[in-house]
Amino acid sequence: MDNANPTILNVSQLPSRAQKRAPRAGPDSKYDAIVLSHPAWADDLSDSDEFGGDESEDYVSENSLDEQEIYDLISTVMDPEHPHTLGELNVVRLPDIHVTPPRPGSPRGLATVLVELTPTINHCSLATIIGLAVRVRLERVLPPNYRVDVRIKDGSHAQDGEVSKQLSDKERVAAALENNTLAGMIDNMLKTCTV
Amino acid sequence: MANFRDWALQYVLSDEDAFQHSIAEKAAREIESTSANRATVGNWAASVQPWMSSSLAGDDDRMDDGDDGSSGDIIARAKALGFLAGTLEALDKNILRTDQLTFLVGFFGAMFSYDHKAGITASTKALRRISTMKGFKPDMGVKMIEDVSKLKEDFRLQAVATRLEIYELFLSLIQNQAVNSELQHKYGASSGFVVDLLQLCQHERDPRNLMIWFKIIATLLSDYAVSPEVTEETFKAFSAYFPISLRASATPIGITADDLKAAVRDCFASSQRVASHAFPFLLQKLDQGDAVTVAVKVDILRTIKACVERYESPQTSIVPYTEKIWNSLKYEVRNGEVKETIDATLDVLRAIANKLDGSRNQKLPIELLKNYIDVVFKDCRVDLANPTYTKQAGVLVMTVITSNIRGYVLESAALTDCVRQNLRQPKSPSHTKDLLLILNSFLKSRSELVANRKKGHPDDEEQLKSESRDHLDALFHDTYLKIWTANSAEPESENFETLKHILQGLALLANQKVVQQDGSASLLHSGAACSEICALLSQVLLKGLTLSSNDNVTSSSLEEEAQLALRAVVMTYASGYGEFSRKAKAEIQKRDWANASEYSLEALKSLVFRLAFVGCSEIPSDLAVDAISKSPSPLQHFITLTATLLDLFPLVPASSITSPTKESLPNSYIVAALHAGLLFFKDACISKYPSEALVSHSKCDANWIDEFSALPQNWIQLLYASEAADSAIESKGEDSPEVYRQFLRLSLFLTRHLYRAVSVGPNAVWNDRIVGQVANIAALVIRNLSEQVQITCGLAREAFNLFTESSTASSPKHTSELLTRGVLEGLWPGAMAELYHPGGIAETFLCQHLDSEGLPPHKCTTRASIGLILTNKYKGGPSTSDPEGLVIKQVLTFWGEKLQGASTSDVTRPLDTLNTIAMHVLAGAVARQDKHVLDVVPTLKASLASDHPNGSAVAHSLGILVRDSDLLSPENHAVVRRFYKQWTYSQLAKPLYEFALPAVDKPSPAAAKYRAAILSIVSNCAFGVYEADLEPLVRLLIITLGAPTTDPGNREHLAPALEIMVEILTNEPDALKSHIKAIIDSAMAVYDGCLPGSQGKPAAGETRAAVARRNAALTASRKLVLQALAAMPKKLEESVLVPFSLPLQRMLGLACGDPVREVRQVARVARENWVKIA
Repeated sequence: MDNANPTILNVSQLPSRAQKRAPRAGPDSKYDAIVLSHPAWADDLSDSDEFGGDESEDYVSENSLDEQEIYDLISTVMDPEHPHTLGELNVVRLPDIHVTPPRPGSPRGLATVLVELTPTINHCSLATIIGLAVRVRLERVLPPNYRVDVRIKDGSHAQDGEVSKQLSDKERVAAALENNTLAGMIDNMLKTCTV
Repeated sequence: MANFRDWALQYVLSDEDAFQHSIAEKAAREIESTSANRATVGNWAASVQPWMSSSLAGDDDRMDDGDDGSSGDIIARAKALGFLAGTLEALDKNILRTDQLTFLVGFFGAMFSYDHKAGITASTKALRRISTMKGFKPDMGVKMIEDVSKLKEDFRLQAVATRLEIYELFLSLIQNQAVNSELQHKYGASSGFVVDLLQLCQHERDPRNLMIWFKIIATLLSDYAVSPEVTEETFKAFSAYFPISLRASATPIGITADDLKAAVRDCFASSQRVASHAFPFLLQKLDQGDAVTVAVKVDILRTIKACVERYESPQTSIVPYTEKIWNSLKYEVRNGEVKETIDATLDVLRAIANKLDGSRNQKLPIELLKNYIDVVFKDCRVDLANPTYTKQAGVLVMTVITSNIRGYVLESAALTDCVRQNLRQPKSPSHTKDLLLILNSFLKSRSELVANRKKGHPDDEEQLKSESRDHLDALFHDTYLKIWTANSAEPESENFETLKHILQGLALLANQKVVQQDGSASLLHSGAACSEICALLSQVLLKGLTLSSNDNVTSSSLEEEAQLALRAVVMTYASGYGEFSRKAKAEIQKRDWANASEYSLEALKSLVFRLAFVGCSEIPSDLAVDAISKSPSPLQHFITLTATLLDLFPLVPASSITSPTKESLPNSYIVAALHAGLLFFKDACISKYPSEALVSHSKCDANWIDEFSALPQNWIQLLYASEAADSAIESKGEDSPEVYRQFLRLSLFLTRHLYRAVSVGPNAVWNDRIVGQVANIAALVIRNLSEQVQITCGLAREAFNLFTESSTASSPKHTSELLTRGVLEGLWPGAMAELYHPGGIAETFLCQHLDSEGLPPHKCTTRASIGLILTNKYKGGPSTSDPEGLVIKQVLTFWGEKLQGASTSDVTRPLDTLNTIAMHVLAGAVARQDKHVLDVVPTLKASLASDHPNGSAVAHSLGILVRDSDLLSPENHAVVRRFYKQWTYSQLAKPLYEFALPAVDKPSPAAAKYRAAILSIVSNCAFGVYEADLEPLVRLLIITLGAPTTDPGNREHLAPALEIMVEILTNEPDALKSHIKAIIDSAMAVYDGCLPGSQGKPAAGETRAAVARRNAALTASRKLVLQALAAMPKKLEESVLVPFSLPLQRMLGLACGDPVREVRQVARVARENWVKIA
């Protein structure tokens, strides 16, 4: 094992969309759903048109495929050595994910996703397989107009340049996936991923 | 003589148990018939002579060798003896005389010396029988034991069953009191027979035999005064088996390892005479360290506990070993990790403390207990100062001290002092935390001891009365408050745990009771101290409001802990809740709520809900703080909450409300908190009182509404200020379910008060949202009342009078309609009978007031709900003024005609309000399966088939008839027949299939409407309802999905069609198999057609809300399409799906880039499922 004692983040410490709003959860909120509901007989507030502006645009931007969504997709990939996810081991970090969305007006135009991984130690021999798993995961769940670029973060690994090069070489990636042992290993790592 | 010989011969020759038994019976009757005279008994005994002579005359060689010839003899001999034993079994117990019995004992006893092969089983049986006979004498018992003991080494060679017989014989003999005396008289303290027995049985291994053998040993030890040497021998005999285990056997014998363990444990605990051997032996086993498994350790500990509990005269049997036991056992807790062993160890320590305290009837000298606790405390005192062992030391010392009241009174001060000293100079934050935990659990145990004080020795209560209280008094200021101040100044996440422990401790502290001289309990702390504790807890809860969002760093979990603590405190210290509510009220009133920030609004919401939770989620105890103050009423907190919230309302005055949205939120929170308070209090009643009591106490003969009219308007506020006396509310103990009745009465008053306030108050305050909340409160309150109370109070009338003197039903304002709905929702059908007079309120309302067009949707919903309730809660029946349901018939016909009229009217647009209300009115009757509904069915069909634009609107709204609604739930006392959906489907939807699916050569423009009608009904039904019509339904779905999505009419069908598709896929996927290509093609087309860009630009007049609604509908359709596609690979065979795999994967790949996140998630699931289809 390369790193026998990695630092592990608690699930509550991982970045998530839900965290941005802390709902009331104490025993006093037991009946919130009943007493604070907004039923149909009350004023239909959504009918008022007083705020103006184009809502459909907000709606799209709020829902767009962003860094957090990419993070949610890959942070649940399992580490090949430890019984922890890449998110818990801090191999995948939200600030190291960059999404360039398609140009406005052409929703199916080219978009790119760049993920920089940080291995737990700088001589991690499994950095390539982790990168490969992240790449496979993203290719399986992103639409075809998204180009996926997985790299090892500069300075985080003794051979970061070389590993990054391997990961962006399409032919080498395809060849690696033909190898049954590797493919099996990657499938195992992706078992914990839910969509 | 001849008889007996023949019988013996027959017995020997027979192999059948039943026959043998009958012969033995015959012989027994023969003996009985001659009153067992000498000759007969002699003949009987001599009848086995032919078989006996060979054995008794035979030499040892013959007996031991057992060649072929003699083995036959042995069997025959055994049977012959069996004949005698069988006869004895069947013989009357009173018939044989002592001399005859002596002879027989001699005869059978001799077998144990001479005939080890054939004679043992039968002889043992015979002896057991003799030992129960009337003529049996104790000296015979002694002789039996001596004779049997002569078996010596040959005992081991006997069959298991034979040995079992012998053990049973021994057990019955030594349990016999007379034999006991005779044995002790004959052998004295040396007890030679015991030694013989031990030698005889020492190698037993059969579990069943062992069970009896252990019982024999336990009896010998407990009932016989044997010498120390013999005791030691006996101890060796059973301790050799410890720890006992049982090998798993293929043939179950009905004895478990636990039975054996318990039997050996009984031997250990049978007499204090073995104490000097038992404790050293067990402790030595325990101290073997890692060699002992957890199961064995637990066995040892339980055995020690059994010894401690059962040994008599503890001064000599236990006291000498307590220190030794403690020294061995403490490490099990101090360094132990396994919960079972820790628990078992603590059980032993507790058992010792309780034993040394004495029994319920007699206490032992206090020194015994004191010395023991001192030994424990001395060791733990050192550990309490060591952060590594603080928790364990705390558990140990707490267990011993709080085992009983004497121990507690003796050492509690010393323990708290020691903990406090350590808390003054803690070694680390976790040390503080552990020490606080000890203090908290000490307080908890103390509460339990005080609560159970009457269950023990009368001295216990006396002890508690004289308990010193200084150390407890000092805990708040000296300990908890100091640590709180030190930690709360800079709250960081690691301090939160400590702070939480302090909050829990404060709650426990404030609830401590002391025993007064008269034996009653009162609070330990004075009102002032309790009030201080409440102030501290309130301060945590008020922080959200008093501090700005940047300064308030308190975690919500700390606030939750504080609210639980405060609730616990105010349940015994009742004034605390008044203090808290006054502070909260003052703090809320300080602010201007008209322009509050989101943070402040959240803080307000949390505070008012916590106010409701703290006061109402439990029923306060009626304990007085001190002798002078009077007992608080269990309803006091509820009254306080209600009065406080009523005083606060409205937080935003009418003049500041410009729009009904944000400004009225604070007002809405106040009403919501009132509602939550009612719900909490009802839950508290449900958990406190048995459900039958609640049912019986929701009844009352008095007309409460009449009583209310004599009360002042601000009655609740007066009750709160104790200026109004209400005999019913005072003097009810917390345990009386009468509290529930009073709660119902108060809440009905509150409802009436709110309703009257709405009818006179400024309209801007009472906007629809808040009036709706008030109506919900009314529904909750009225729902809880029994039918009889509802009738007595005339609540059905109040639904329209709205608790005011004048009828407001003539002004159909939305506000009063909302209020009407609230009352009607909670009424029992039986309480509404008076509304249904022909030409009465219900008919007028249903036919005149509901009838209007062009209402905004929310007003329409309110009216429709009233219509639904009124047609649903019609009870009918012979006792009413309208037994045939003519009113309902009238109403249904009226609405049927209205619908039909609409389709011929000049208006060229759909009449949505009319349709919605009409369908709801019908839906109420449909749920009851009212027969008059059938009369309207043709009208419905005609109106949906009409060419008028309203025809298709009617088709779409048909689903309302079977839609699930809260109004039709059992708790709202709705009348719902079990199969009404099946009934409706077969009456309305099923006949429409033939029109909805016209033949290809006969296209029908009305078919789309019929399809819409079917979809609308089916999508509101469970799968089982339409299961029989899957074939036409699937065709209908394909046609619907294939229609262009740009047409708004078609778009409306999509969602129900897709929902049904998913339902069919889940329940009966094979129904789709033959149409799979058409389904997948149309599903793909629907997805593309529902993408936002595919619908073109919004129309010029379309509002933003309308666009948003349309987008939401499109998103829902896309999601449903993908859900259906995702389900296919799991439900259908791969071979059916393979041809579509590639195009679908392409489409799903694109769907993973859907503009809406939720849809993307479903797309990913679908893509993953389809990748597997190659």
